[in-house]
Amino acid sequence: MSSTSTASVPGSGPAAIRCRIGARGVSRSFGPVRANVDVTLSVRPGTVHAVVGENGAGKSTLMRILYGLDQPDSGHVVIDDEEIALTSPRAAIARRIGLVQQELAIIPELSLLENLVLGEEPVRFGRIDWATALRRAEELSASVGVDIDWKAGAALTSIAIQQQVEILRLVYRGADVLILDEPTAVLAPAQAEELLRLLSSLRDAGRTVIFISHKLDEVVGVADHITVLRSGRTITEIARGEIDREGLAALIVGDSEVAERSVSRGDPGETVLVVEGVSAKDDRAVLRLDDVSFEVRSGEILGVAAVAGNGQEELAEVLIGIRGAASGDIRLDGASIGRASIRKRRLAGLGYVSADRKHEGLALGLSLADNSIATPALHGLARGGWLGPRRVAERVKEVLDRAAVRYGSSSDPASSLSGGNQQRVVLGRETIGNPRVLVASQPTRGVDVRGIGYIHELLRRARDEGAAIVLFSEELDELRELSDRIVVLHRGQVAGMLPGEASRSEIGALMLGNHSPEDDNPDADVPDDPTPGHPRSPRGGETV
Amino acid sequence: MTSAPTQSAPVEPDPTPAGDPPLQRILIATGRVARHAGLPVVIALLVGAVVLLATGNDPIAVYGRLATEAFGTPSRINATLAATTPILFTAIAAAFAYRAGVFTVGVEGSFVLGGLTAAVIGANMGGFPPVVAVILPLLGATLAGGLVAAVPAVLRAVWSVDEVVTTLMFNFIVAGLAGWAVQSFFQERGQANSATAYVAENAELPALAPPGQTSWALIIGLLLLIGYAVWMRRSTLGFEFRAVGSAPRFSTAQGLRVRTVLLTALLGAGLIGGLGGGSHALGIVHRYSEGFSASFGFTGIAIALLARFNPIGILVGAILFGALNAAGATVQLFINLPVQLIDILEGTVMIFAVAVFAFPRLSKRWAARSERRRP
Ligand SMILES: Nc1ncnc2c1ncn2[C@@H]1O[C@H](COP(=O)(O)OP(=O)(O)OP(=O)(O)O)[C@@H](O)[C@H]1O
Ligand SMILES: [Mg+2]
Repeated sequence: MSSTSTASVPGSGPAAIRCRIGARGVSRSFGPVRANVDVTLSVRPGTVHAVVGENGAGKSTLMRILYGLDQPDSGHVVIDDEEIALTSPRAAIARRIGLVQQELAIIPELSLLENLVLGEEPVRFGRIDWATALRRAEELSASVGVDIDWKAGAALTSIAIQQQVEILRLVYRGADVLILDEPTAVLAPAQAEELLRLLSSLRDAGRTVIFISHKLDEVVGVADHITVLRSGRTITEIARGEIDREGLAALIVGDSEVAERSVSRGDPGETVLVVEGVSAKDDRAVLRLDDVSFEVRSGEILGVAAVAGNGQEELAEVLIGIRGAASGDIRLDGASIGRASIRKRRLAGLGYVSADRKHEGLALGLSLADNSIATPALHGLARGGWLGPRRVAERVKEVLDRAAVRYGSSSDPASSLSGGNQQRVVLGRETIGNPRVLVASQPTRGVDVRGIGYIHELLRRARDEGAAIVLFSEELDELRELSDRIVVLHRGQVAGMLPGEASRSEIGALMLGNHSPEDDNPDADVPDDPTPGHPRSPRGGETV
Repeated sequence: MTSAPTQSAPVEPDPTPAGDPPLQRILIATGRVARHAGLPVVIALLVGAVVLLATGNDPIAVYGRLATEAFGTPSRINATLAATTPILFTAIAAAFAYRAGVFTVGVEGSFVLGGLTAAVIGANMGGFPPVVAVILPLLGATLAGGLVAAVPAVLRAVWSVDEVVTTLMFNFIVAGLAGWAVQSFFQERGQANSATAYVAENAELPALAPPGQTSWALIIGLLLLIGYAVWMRRSTLGFEFRAVGSAPRFSTAQGLRVRTVLLTALLGAGLIGGLGGGSHALGIVHRYSEGFSASFGFTGIAIALLARFNPIGILVGAILFGALNAAGATVQLFINLPVQLIDILEGTVMIFAVAVFAFPRLSKRWAARSERRRP
């Protein structure tokens, strides 16, 4: 109950408050889907509370209810030990509750400072007082020990910084309860650690934090309390130190088995994809890929490892054709596709799992059915330019079943799926047509423990069916489990090519640009934290 | 190994693949349209009521009278449907482009040039067999409408030039061109205002119930509406229209035919607008004269937005505006009503239709603009 830091909670009334925010008997259904069933949650003031559960377990739904964005069919939100009806976010903000949703709401056209103060700008003589705004912003970032260039345009900063700004925006608006829906899902390991430190220091300053995560290590490491949801129900609440990663994973999935994460290598055949001396620039004409060459064979997974911002995002984009190569060529089954349109490449058998699920991977406003068939091969379902409803329905079912998507009706919009299920739709669609090459970028982002195993299985199946797969992942262990070989990028160049069995430290050393790990990096089991000082994401450095 | 963990199969009841029964779909769609369109209409009626009260009228009586004037007798219904016809075409044209996220305002120009073309060809159809005498002018009108949209279409698809600006420009060009062409080449002698000769009798689209004005043009419009609905739902390009319109980056990444979609959207809207103008010329006006289009192209935009491009919504919206126009024309015979009231009602519906639709986009633009004022 009494966590170490409860004492210093400012302005949260008598210390007697036991539940700063929570839920009592909350149920919420969407048609046939019971997203929350009699959920109970109790978050003590001044603590970090994690909410975990499988994709579709109802976590985001619960958070939306706590923030007044959605109302329960029955049951109550509890604030300061009091059952109340939260009818709108406005009411929640009045009770000093803030939410950062699963998808970021930063406005890219604005500066970070503008994003921070948007809607609550300090005003002086009827004009926005930018000097004051800047001073407050700097005080704010200093108080929690993060370093932010507030004047930078949001579009030009890394996703990690944007994430921090979103959180600080809540604080700026006076929120004392911060609800964060999968804040670390899109972050590289080092960035995630920084974010978790930010959460801890907010907690130490007396605030209450709720966060959702599928990365159980960070949950076990950071959270004071953990609530587990399964199929919309509260399973249990655990205090810090009472459980380890494996125990938590077991609680999350229940009786069902988690497929043992296993290592299996492919049986490579003929060379399919040849990348030859490819260079590419980012949106600001900075060289990000420098003379990169490699080959991928049929039935082989080539992992790409790199610290965020070392060219891997550009490489994925160049392979699929979203970004043009400045020089070099790409060949698929011997035919040059380096200058071909995205459409031509896709018709030649290129599949693509984008790291940007919300914008590139899915059309969130369209139905699941539409999303399942939206490929150039669409025309395989057509006769003379017309889509046969029966053939379409069959294909849709095939795609969704293949990835075991949990959905209500295929005419629902993709946005109604939980985050992890959205990812599965993409995987199902991109692996179904026996692609010759599959470019898979962060394929398990936001996916739960069991789902990760399942997606790995999908990738292996595609590999065994003869696809040449290029796998981009921020999780080194994922790369090591799946890859037959791992190419390491450093500053846009190939730093080395390792076998899939390579150790974390070998890979990590190359990621940092050390070509001979034994010599100058003896105790280098640090690849999860190799960053500071390195270039950020492609959209990024914090300065303009 | 491949024993996929039997991860939660689709939830409980059988997932209805892509198609609920048609009737249910229609009901759902109607409900959705009512939600979007209801607000602007209600607000407009309230604004109108305030104006009426302020001018010493009884709103309920006036609205009642308007309703009878629009739908009270078969001949009034006929008049309403006649007024519905041109805006049905322009609304389909606008919706066609907007589905692909292409915001054309050029339907007006296509409608005008289509009307002029049909009138001119129709006037020379004297000796032709009836069907040909109708089809040739309509064909000409359709092509003329497409021609108006051709340049903006290419500019948009190839060089990403903003279509709002170019199509608006072409409206002005067409308006000037049409006036000049009539005066210089096609002016019927003995007519005070600039107007062409009447079309040959066998080129007229026959009235459905003479002496009412509603003609076969309405049937063409309805067929077109059905075609629009089916095409959007069932054709591959229609699918790509929806995808590009709702998620452009996704469509690009998926290798859908984005360029083809943009090009087709603008050209198609022009072709449909041209056909609308031609049908209007052959079916109702029987010639081209100054003021041929009472801003039908813009009314079509409002209807398309009100309806959120939904076919049923388009039909309902077109009838609504048709009713206002038809009733507005005669209601003053019975009560002393400011003529402008009808305009105010229409204008308010349009403003709110556009506002409800465009506000999210505008706020994004404002945000982008204030970037320049960044500290
Ligand atoms: N607006 C909605 N309409 C229909 N179904 C919905 C809606 N919102 C959520 N659902 C359904 O409710 C269930 C719970 O979704 P929720 O987003 O809360 O899951 P989650 O625990 O956050 O999952 P994830 O880890 O994948 O983000 C899912 O099956 C989802 O499809
Ligand atoms: Mg979620």
